[in-house]
Amino acid sequence: MTKAPESVALDQLDKEQMKTFSDFLMSYNKLSEMCFTDCVRDFTSRDVQEKEEKCSLNCMEKYLKMNQRISQRFQEFQMITNENAMAMAKKTGQL
Amino acid sequence: MAMPQISAADQAKLQLMQEMEIEMMSDLYNRMTNACHKKCIPPRYSESELGKGEMVCIDRCVAKYLDIHEKIGKKLTAMSMQDEELMKKMSN
Repeated sequence: MTKAPESVALDQLDKEQMKTFSDFLMSYNKLSEMCFTDCVRDFTSRDVQEKEEKCSLNCMEKYLKMNQRISQRFQEFQMITNENAMAMAKKTGQL
Repeated sequence: MAMPQISAADQAKLQLMQEMEIEMMSDLYNRMTNACHKKCIPPRYSESELGKGEMVCIDRCVAKYLDIHEKIGKKLTAMSMQDEELMKKMSN
């Protein structure tokens, strides 16, 4: 039996959601690793120092802001590339 | 019908190609983010705001990265085309 169209669409959605979720988890791990290596260097005490905590949180916030900016610029770039491709297609279509 | 029918096999291939392209784009994006983070954000986190210099650096870094990506792509295609031609000549 083939699946009903709704369930196929649901499967697709599920797959995408899972991908987004796993991407999120991966970036969370990466962020932790990065901010830990950049901020925590002193192992003479067991407790996280106030300085280290502040640094880590700043690191995270800054990274997210950087990501936002990069995504903005990337989108702009893609838009321009798309426009150029469309213009090119139109031109070659006319010729 | 004026439009040629696309066979199921071709359609599957097309979809695979699209998926590969999306994957490649997201890989490019991740690598670019890593590179620009390394180059533009010094690992001193006394502040959570992006500095002015950091912002300018990020903008330039993204633009430059994509430029280089494009340039390398062009050169790579040219080289592989040249290679193919050479191979054809050799086999003749």
